[in-house]
Amino acid sequence: MSETRSASPSWTVIAAAAVALAVGISIGILYPIVRAPGDTSAEAGFARSMSTHHAQAVAMAMRAYAASGDPQITAVAFDIALSQQSQIGTMQSWLRQWNLSPTSTEPAMAWMSRTGTHHGAPTRQMPGMATTQELETLNQATGTDLDRLFCDLMIRHHEGGIAMVDAVLAADPADEVRSLAEAIRKTQQAEVDALRDMRARVG
Amino acid sequence: MMAKNKRVPTKPPRQWGVIGLWTTVGLATVLIIGYAAFASWRGARPWNDRLTGLAGVTDYASTNPAWLTSAHKSGPLTYEVTPSVGGSHNSSWQNCAGDVYDAPIAAEHATHSLEHGAVWVTYRPDLPADQVARLAEHVRGVDFMFMSPHDNLDAAISLQAWGYRLTVDDAADEQIRDFIGAARMKAGPEQGAPCPGGITATGTTPRDLNPQGS
Repeated sequence: MSETRSASPSWTVIAAAAVALAVGISIGILYPIVRAPGDTSAEAGFARSMSTHHAQAVAMAMRAYAASGDPQITAVAFDIALSQQSQIGTMQSWLRQWNLSPTSTEPAMAWMSRTGTHHGAPTRQMPGMATTQELETLNQATGTDLDRLFCDLMIRHHEGGIAMVDAVLAADPADEVRSLAEAIRKTQQAEVDALRDMRARVG
Repeated sequence: MMAKNKRVPTKPPRQWGVIGLWTTVGLATVLIIGYAAFASWRGARPWNDRLTGLAGVTDYASTNPAWLTSAHKSGPLTYEVTPSVGGSHNSSWQNCAGDVYDAPIAAEHATHSLEHGAVWVTYRPDLPADQVARLAEHVRGVDFMFMSPHDNLDAAISLQAWGYRLTVDDAADEQIRDFIGAARMKAGPEQGAPCPGGITATGTTPRDLNPQGS
């Protein structure tokens, strides 16, 4: 036995190197999976609910872009619709990379309750969302009625979005989530200010 | 003697085979993990580190972050740096979908484009035509890029991204490519914002959208 072992040390070395390689590759594959946010994480909750939240902003902005006669309103609506649709794509690709479903059976705001920034029982209603009735009114409105309602709904919507951003930032999220969340807060705060100016002008 | 010693169970010789084996395994492991770490560090070096690593870059994002506000304001605005590298801006952005402008443009619109993640290439009006053509190759038809001459430059060529500026003397300078590669769609706080749909007119006076009834 000892004869055989000492006669072919090169084979054991090759086998050991193969094991080392396998361990290295496994670490490389497993590390991102272990590191990825889980199904009930604040990151996943944020990505899911902010996608839904953004989708409503896109719908409202598309209506204003198509129907408003005020060039300042159509310009900000164009910016909101395209930016937020692009951000939805970013958030959906996170969920895909994390091997998570784009949806969850939990109440929409359960993740926010866990961060301690949303008080009371978890609710399906996200902050700042327009009701079906309000969307219906927006879709029927024209002229300054439309401009006024769009500003009011979008200001409230953006402020709700900022509350969701603050909730995910409070949970010390992964870098990619932090980067987008901070960008959303900065942009939406600037847009809220611009929308307030427009709302004051429309009267 | 050697063969005899080998058969004495109480004092075995050093197991060179085993030592060699584990040394090899250890070295291989260190090499594999080390290379993987190095490769991912190099590939994933943050974009702002790649920018500040360029000799011709000035980093205002770190030194003067308070300049980089995002408010929408009408009328002419003054900027701390010429050309502007960020700050409050007009509500309309300059179209930055690979647009090559043949005359100076308004900083108030261009700054909004920087906020959307675009890189603005500017050059002195007396820059030779072949140099201008070489610059335009980086811009024409490339989304999140725009270019215009500028009357008040302290360098022959100046590239602006939100919070960063690169100055060079020659359109062949490789820093131009590196600056664009690192900053385009990364600098600028408004992730996902568009470049089409902006102002395509030239002239340094900002164009305010005329609201209804005024």
